[in-house]
Amino acid sequence: MTSPLPVVELRDVSKSFGNVRAVKNVSFTLPRGSVLTILGPSGCGKTTLLRMIAGFDAPTSGEIFIQGQPVSSVPPYQRSIGMVFQKLALFPHMTAAENIAYPLKMRRYDPATIPGRVERYLQIVQLSGMGTRRIHELSGGQQQRVAIARALSFSPDLLLLDEPLSALDKKLREEMQLEFRRIQQELAVTTINVTHDQREALVMSDEIIVMSDGAVQQAADPVRLYREPSSRFVASFIGLTSLLTGRATKIQAMDVAIQVGNMVLKGRTADETIQNGAWVECALRAEQVRIFPAGKGFAEFDNALEGVVDQQIFEGDRMVYQVRCPALGDAPIFVFDHDPAHHQFHQKDDSVRIGWNAQDLLVYACSDA
Amino acid sequence: MTGARGKTIVLWSIVWFNLIALSLPTIIILGASFTSGDIVRFPPDGLSLKWYARLWLLDDFKDAFLRTLYVSVICTIVSIPAGTLAALALTRYRIRFRTAIQVYLLLPFTIPLVVSGLGMMIVFGEVRILGQLWPVGIGLCCINLPFMMWAVSATVNALDNNLENAAANCGAPPLQAFLTVTLPAVMPGVITGALLMFILAFNEFLVSLFLTDARIVTLPVSIYNSIRSVITPDLAAVSVVYIVIALFAVWLLDRLVGLELFLKSK
Repeated sequence: MTSPLPVVELRDVSKSFGNVRAVKNVSFTLPRGSVLTILGPSGCGKTTLLRMIAGFDAPTSGEIFIQGQPVSSVPPYQRSIGMVFQKLALFPHMTAAENIAYPLKMRRYDPATIPGRVERYLQIVQLSGMGTRRIHELSGGQQQRVAIARALSFSPDLLLLDEPLSALDKKLREEMQLEFRRIQQELAVTTINVTHDQREALVMSDEIIVMSDGAVQQAADPVRLYREPSSRFVASFIGLTSLLTGRATKIQAMDVAIQVGNMVLKGRTADETIQNGAWVECALRAEQVRIFPAGKGFAEFDNALEGVVDQQIFEGDRMVYQVRCPALGDAPIFVFDHDPAHHQFHQKDDSVRIGWNAQDLLVYACSDA
Repeated sequence: MTGARGKTIVLWSIVWFNLIALSLPTIIILGASFTSGDIVRFPPDGLSLKWYARLWLLDDFKDAFLRTLYVSVICTIVSIPAGTLAALALTRYRIRFRTAIQVYLLLPFTIPLVVSGLGMMIVFGEVRILGQLWPVGIGLCCINLPFMMWAVSATVNALDNNLENAAANCGAPPLQAFLTVTLPAVMPGVITGALLMFILAFNEFLVSLFLTDARIVTLPVSIYNSIRSVITPDLAAVSVVYIVIALFAVWLLDRLVGLELFLKSK
């Protein structure tokens, strides 16, 4: 019985620069054909991790395996890894086709097969007929496509993406996210993507690893990560989330009552270690909260309270309210209204009622307690 | 409205004043070189090419010209690898004593040319190469090397930091990556620097004055010597030759790197 070998495996990989531990004991495996996104704020160690996999930096401890082989002593030019760099790093003195042919030449492909291969990859990234263009003659999106084709033309075991989309404007970025997904699925190439963009992570990935301060916070598929964030950090990093601090007053299995300000809120936790009377942190997604004019009843919600609109932002497809609740000690609660066209608008300083259910108030043990 | 208009007038006045002030000597020399008279004056007394014809017959100037060419070529050939590699090393790689090396290489800029010239004269005399022509080229290379390094550094700084990593990622070992990616990518800077070095060496006077004697005198020194005796329009003609060479260099630069500069601005 042999289970299929993971394309990439990291075992306890750490990296220190002087006294700074940029990456702390990261382990994961990545099966063939899947897309992993490493998501985290800038400086969380995600790019360092990627550079170690590519071979530009060596781990201080731990080992990286590619196709089951340890690669610490393998220089980057002997690894079968394609990479799309943040600023693309296309070769400015070459044409698009020459850029795509470069890895084939360096990896000693039969010269007779190179033009055909280049043509095929130009087609895959939808740049047919553009091969003779110089890099500076191409638009930003086209340069992206050349960089993708260059990283893939030699059929690498693994594709690495180092935030290549971060420089693009929103519309082009969203277009390229779908484009990456299409190409990735067409070629079934195992991919590791690094980004600080939560939307990109959710759109592009089979699996997401959230990092902060060099350590893995949570690894899960996008749906689980969004629905069941394992910590306050993950909950606040993905989605628009209100954060509340309070004291657990009554715990029954997963149900927790939390005293926040003068209110007792009902929430839910997956953490069995939370004790009665302990300080806890609560996270609440903006789309789980409903908003009504003051005085309107909504007995169906587990938590309901009065508040005042502090801010309202119209985003076209939705309305974002920031509501201040005196009972919660003025902590701001974010609320999405997804049908602003058919609902009443609440103006700044309007009195409103907001409500949500216990299952949507995620309770975590205080991280700095 | 009037404010903007006034500003335009003032700015254009300054621009034109500067343009005229800068080009007037050149225009006067240009005119004077075509005179049919026997003294340098502007406007010229009639038009002729006789001073250019005479120049062609003056073996002193012709030899000095060829020597200057020789010196400039040596200076350029030495400065290309020295300046390119130094600039690459200092801007691209984390090397020890980086700042110290940088300061050392830029030292020629802070030392007066008279001091450099005198110093080289003494050193060259000690090692018994004073009086030969090639050391002049080396000397000029030393004092002008910062220009070469600046030209290359400017190009290197405009490159993506990950260019060599990208090459390695494509499967290129370090030497291969250097030859096929780094070097071609910095070529615009190298060409700019090389032409600059050539022109600077071609025009250099003060240090050459120290390093040459009557047998190996270069063109700028030769002109200076002539001025001290008698000023004739053939000097104007020599100056025009200089201007033509400089213009040729600019044209060459435009042809060779014009497109690449375009690329850098992207």
